[in-house]
Amino acid sequence: MSSKVYWRPIGFSCLRIEEWNEEFTLYQPDSGKTHFLNQMGMQIILDLAQSPASTDDICQSLAAQFELCLNQQFSQQIISILNRFNELGLIEKVEKESSM
Amino acid sequence: MSYTQQSHHRLLLDALNSPGSLVGLNTSEWELLIRQARKVKLLGRLAVELNNSALLENIPIRAANQLRSGLIQARKLQQQTHWELNRVLWALQGVEIPVIVLKGVAYALAGLPKSDGRVYVDLDFMVARSDLLCVESTLKQKGWQQNKLSSYDENYYRVWSHEIPPLIHTERETEVDIHHTIAPLTSKLKINTDLFFEVAVVVEDVNTQILSPVDMVLHCAVNLFQNNELSDDLRDLLDIHDLLQFFSNKEADFWKKLIERANQLRLGRPLFYGLHFSQVILKTSIPAAIADKLNERPGRIQLWLMDKLVPLALLPLHPDKPARSALFARFLLYSRSHWIRMPLYLLLPHLTYKKFLSVFPRKAATTEIKK
Amino acid sequence: MTVGQITLERFIVLLSNQGIRVRVGPFNVQINVTSTVFANQLYLLYKDYELVENDIAEFHVRVVSARSIKRPFTSHVRFLLDGQSPFPILPEEQALAALEWGINLSIAVRVNHLLLFHSAVVERNGQVIVAPALPGSGKTTLCVALVHRGYRLFSDEFGLLDPQRGEFLPIPRLMPLKNESIGVIENYLPEAQLGQKIPNTQKGTIAHVCPPKESIVRSRESAKARWIVFPKWVADTPLRLEQLPDSEAFLLLANNSFNYEVMGESGFQAVTHLIKTCDCYQLVYSDFDDLINAMNDLTN
Repeated sequence: MSSKVYWRPIGFSCLRIEEWNEEFTLYQPDSGKTHFLNQMGMQIILDLAQSPASTDDICQSLAAQFELCLNQQFSQQIISILNRFNELGLIEKVEKESSM
Repeated sequence: MSYTQQSHHRLLLDALNSPGSLVGLNTSEWELLIRQARKVKLLGRLAVELNNSALLENIPIRAANQLRSGLIQARKLQQQTHWELNRVLWALQGVEIPVIVLKGVAYALAGLPKSDGRVYVDLDFMVARSDLLCVESTLKQKGWQQNKLSSYDENYYRVWSHEIPPLIHTERETEVDIHHTIAPLTSKLKINTDLFFEVAVVVEDVNTQILSPVDMVLHCAVNLFQNNELSDDLRDLLDIHDLLQFFSNKEADFWKKLIERANQLRLGRPLFYGLHFSQVILKTSIPAAIADKLNERPGRIQLWLMDKLVPLALLPLHPDKPARSALFARFLLYSRSHWIRMPLYLLLPHLTYKKFLSVFPRKAATTEIKK
Repeated sequence: MTVGQITLERFIVLLSNQGIRVRVGPFNVQINVTSTVFANQLYLLYKDYELVENDIAEFHVRVVSARSIKRPFTSHVRFLLDGQSPFPILPEEQALAALEWGINLSIAVRVNHLLLFHSAVVERNGQVIVAPALPGSGKTTLCVALVHRGYRLFSDEFGLLDPQRGEFLPIPRLMPLKNESIGVIENYLPEAQLGQKIPNTQKGTIAHVCPPKESIVRSRESAKARWIVFPKWVADTPLRLEQLPDSEAFLLLANNSFNYEVMGESGFQAVTHLIKTCDCYQLVYSDFDDLINAMNDLTN
């Protein structure tokens, strides 16, 4: 068994989300901040709310959903979004024993 | 010793003691009350009191709206400081340094009733002096910055103060004050900070620590009567009052522990003033004669003088006709606050420098102080 | 009773002693002026405002004589809110500007039970147009033009939204025209009542326009917003009125508010509701007749 780093959302059920034609405003009650997200950013949070996932899993699933090529540039983009969300307290890292 | 209240002060203190009485105020009394409460940052507190007794709907709408505005602002500041704590703890993950949260945020974490109307602007916490550099550099790597200080101020913080220059996150406005002890290094109080960490209370939900109840009261008293200049600091006295009431109801031997701890840490004098003025001004119920057990008490003349001065400084000036006596009292206590924080050989050059700055602000950047 | 219903002599006595108390939209302001140079001006410009008796004032402001260390031989004035002076002293000729600016600042820093936008707000047929101020929008000039063509003035400076009722509250105040726009309005609207020109202020030359009397008289009547128009004045450009995407309007409107973040979730809900219930436009204009026609078409 190895331990793997997963991402999961923080306080997802408390977020107030409004959709404006493929763009989103998201109010985070803990910080009092309003965040502006595009479809990709929103999808990351929605996916993580379904089930926590590793960076690789997220990249794969997003590439499939948005029909994009899964290359290094794409992964870098997703990693920087994840780090940004982490900094904003929207998501956090958890280490989980993996038995897969 | 009782303190003869000025009538505008009576209005404010009655409001704090028995919010129910507010329903009977006339227009000019409401106006005077709200202007004073705003001055001492207690609009949110009054709003909470009235809300709790379901009276906010029964008072004149113009008064209620101003109180609500004050409460909304207080809550925003609380949200910001609590969120800042959340982010600081996030940034310090993996560094494993014990942190004790202080002041307003700590009162809320301790579950102090009515703390949701309190205005607190900064996040204050304490770490051991040996951890200071590590905490500071970790936060600086993760987005916090220090404002550029003149070399005089930088030196003041690093050599004399009980805290380091405040850190501010580049995307947020909340000031983070990191303390390594509870009183300036230049004051006569010499405190072994380890003693606070030994008995600190863990707050599970947020994964941090706060001071033990008696230490929290002592810190509050030290902060008000040792570190502050007392002008318009009624809110801090109210903190002492609230903490005393809350903890003494919760713990049977609270008073005994409080006195013992004050004697152990040699903080008898600030606690004496805290108990005394909380009782005199806010009518806190404190067991008779417990203050006599404190080892360090002010002398009779000192107390007489403080009795004359402290209420005039803590309570707000009349907004339209400030009394000369109150202005003079504030001046004297301002001088006292510097006097007790620093020995005279440091104080005189310090005040001279500050005076110099107030006349020639531009010089600050270019003046170098030689150690 | 209005200011104009007492004599100038009485007005000056009140102003310089206990102060006058006037209702300005949802607020009562107590004004005390020891420097009486501009009392005549104030009497003329405030003539339609209601004097308040026996009701709480939210703001206690004073304009007092002051001395400048740098310029000891010219008279200066200091604006005070509850005895505190929020900005430096100004030359005495700018006393009216200091008072008006100071009252705006007082509102902006204290009021949090209402969502405050930095916007011009006017009403027609019972519905409100919100015109947020972006740099170069010329919102005051636009506002002055509209309110002299049948629109009711809510404010040239503050959109006050009561989040509970979802309605804007009128707060008609003197409208300060700046620099070239003074001449523009003097030409276009000879009937507009302007105060004296105040040169050399921080924002250049200023002249205050009186709100139409009807706007002041009806300043207790709130209304819901229907249009949000982001205006921009560009010289010699034909008028363009274009729909603005909702997400962009949300961003612009939230940023335009003084206290959006202070109000927390109710601020978010209020802006969301506004965007959902209003049509949002971007407006570029240069000619006032075109502007008024376009606004009339929009609001018919």
